[in-house]
Amino acid sequence: MKKKRLIPVLLLRNGWLVQSKQFRRYQNLGNPISAVERLSEWAADELIYLDITRDNCYDMRRDDLGHPNRHNVLEIIKDVSRAALMPITVGGRIRSLSDIEKRLACGADKVCINTKAIDVPQFIEEASREFGSQCIVVSIDVKSSAGHNHVVTAGGTRPTGLVPQAWAKQIEELGAGEILLNSVDRDGMKTGYDMELLIKMTAQVHIPVIACGGAGEWKHFAEAFTQTNVDAVAAANIFHYSDQSVYLAKRFLFEQGLNVRRPELLEV
Amino acid sequence: MPRTPMQYCQRCVYPHVAVNLSVDEEGICASCRTAEQFERMPQEFWLKRRALFERCIEEAGKSRASDYDCVIPVSGGKDSYYQTHLIVAEYGLKPLLVTYHGNNYLPEGDYNRDRMREVFNVDHLVMGPSVEVLKKLNRLCFRKMGDMNWHAHCGINTYPIQVAVKFAIPLVIWGEIAWDISGMFEPDDFVEFSARVRHEHDLRGFEWRDMLNDPIERLSEKDLSWAKYPSDEAILKAGVRGLFIGNFFKWDPYSHTKLIQERYGWKGAENAFERTYRKISNLDDRYENGVHDLLKFIKFGYGRASDHASKDIRTGYMTREKGIEMVRQYDHVVSQDLFHWLNYVGMSEAEFWTTADCFRDARVWWIQDGQWWKDNIWGKPSAYGPVHLPLDARRKYRQGALKHLARESNRAA
Repeated sequence: MKKKRLIPVLLLRNGWLVQSKQFRRYQNLGNPISAVERLSEWAADELIYLDITRDNCYDMRRDDLGHPNRHNVLEIIKDVSRAALMPITVGGRIRSLSDIEKRLACGADKVCINTKAIDVPQFIEEASREFGSQCIVVSIDVKSSAGHNHVVTAGGTRPTGLVPQAWAKQIEELGAGEILLNSVDRDGMKTGYDMELLIKMTAQVHIPVIACGGAGEWKHFAEAFTQTNVDAVAAANIFHYSDQSVYLAKRFLFEQGLNVRRPELLEV
Repeated sequence: MPRTPMQYCQRCVYPHVAVNLSVDEEGICASCRTAEQFERMPQEFWLKRRALFERCIEEAGKSRASDYDCVIPVSGGKDSYYQTHLIVAEYGLKPLLVTYHGNNYLPEGDYNRDRMREVFNVDHLVMGPSVEVLKKLNRLCFRKMGDMNWHAHCGINTYPIQVAVKFAIPLVIWGEIAWDISGMFEPDDFVEFSARVRHEHDLRGFEWRDMLNDPIERLSEKDLSWAKYPSDEAILKAGVRGLFIGNFFKWDPYSHTKLIQERYGWKGAENAFERTYRKISNLDDRYENGVHDLLKFIKFGYGRASDHASKDIRTGYMTREKGIEMVRQYDHVVSQDLFHWLNYVGMSEAEFWTTADCFRDARVWWIQDGQWWKDNIWGKPSAYGPVHLPLDARRKYRQGALKHLARESNRAA
């Protein structure tokens, strides 16, 4: 039986690895690569690497460290793919087929699209036809206000007027391979996934849905697996808070009898 | 990389170039934001944290196979005393104190360190690498990364974990939340010690392997066995976790110092430091501020007085105005410690300045009339001494000094 996946998300902003809280507050954690090496050693099932840089500036502002200070996202993706022992999905600032091609050439296995898909839904179809559905992940950022969920984009800054369920259906019809479903309100809040949203959304589509936003304890992963039909759980900040985090999370899920890969440690 | 005018946090005195710092839309740095969050925490938050700490100790105790409850990495400084006080006097636990001895102690630091096993009635393991190896590492790391104290960052962040693994001691009790100076995390993140932060930030991305095969400073793997971080497998097997006391108990260096002075006779510095106003910090390492932080000023244009003032502003011990005065008075000072260090490692002052200048950050410094210039937090830029770089290495610093540089290269040609 197909295993459920546990997927760490790394966020890149202006050349730094960051943690994010509600798409508003960012804290610099370190260089773009060291964390990838650790996630590899802990045998993460996959890695989602999102570039949330707003301008075009990548600079760690110092050059006296043991790792290179890259000024270009493609160079960073190359480093990431060299350090990663798991499949990588790369997202952020993808606006054309050529942007996708460049990222794949740097070692990405899949790409994740958000703003461009909202602006030009046809782009999902073109990209899936060109690179295959297995390669195209579309992310949906959901925000709730006045008791209603709606889709936002451009890093959570722009409302779209789209209803999440309908948008998910459309994404599937256009040929995307997976949906990365993120709750903006829960981002970095450690209060658990928005279960109601996960249930509603997985009922709409047949393609895999990856849950993201809100994980604050290992048990939140287990809740998503036992109470909803998500294919994978993803989280960013939590994996930075303790050593061997992915291994420990996996061991927790494995010991609960959930259908995940056996926890292991790899040598990089 | 184009140079833009230096910017500073609007609340403390940190420049934006400071380690890892991110600054928000209101111009406040992440470190001030984290401090603000800790300050805001009500009494009840700390009571909950205390209870959580007690649960962690209890959990660790269940699986403990050693006679020791925890390892406390100590230098003998004010924080070491406070950590040990908490563990021994408040909780009645049996710690093993572990010291990495980098051979840089001030006499007051020696005194404080050696008295710990007496005043706390505990066992104390002190590990000092060969002095010859230390001298080599001082020189090598100064040339390699502009930081002669790499060995100290490495030793204190490695050897105690080696000991914990070796003796199967489940907890390592660290002090201050080390990441708060750059605001990487906040109270609710509840961060533990991690090999990634150790590697990237404490060790600057270098490991013992990077110290081998140097043509001048010959070092072998055997010389550096104290620098090897245990594998994940070994750590998980021994069940070792590293906790920061600062996550559980409100951190106040001044009230802690008062407590340990009164109760345990801990001594501050007898003489004032040349590079900072604080007399309660860095007794364990005369070069940490004296030379390592002089290098920080040379690289990024700020020093230990900026660190101390920023911390003291955040905890309300100092106004920003006073902080700026401290920065102006201390940050740039070249102290006697430099000459002490040059003598220790056998290096000439000329080699020091030529090497140090290679690490000047072009985001901060420019060259004008043969002098190093930078912006200042109090306003106008000013010069900070002569340039020691060869002419061909000055190119990237020539902003604002183009004419002069052209004249100079003409002369050289």
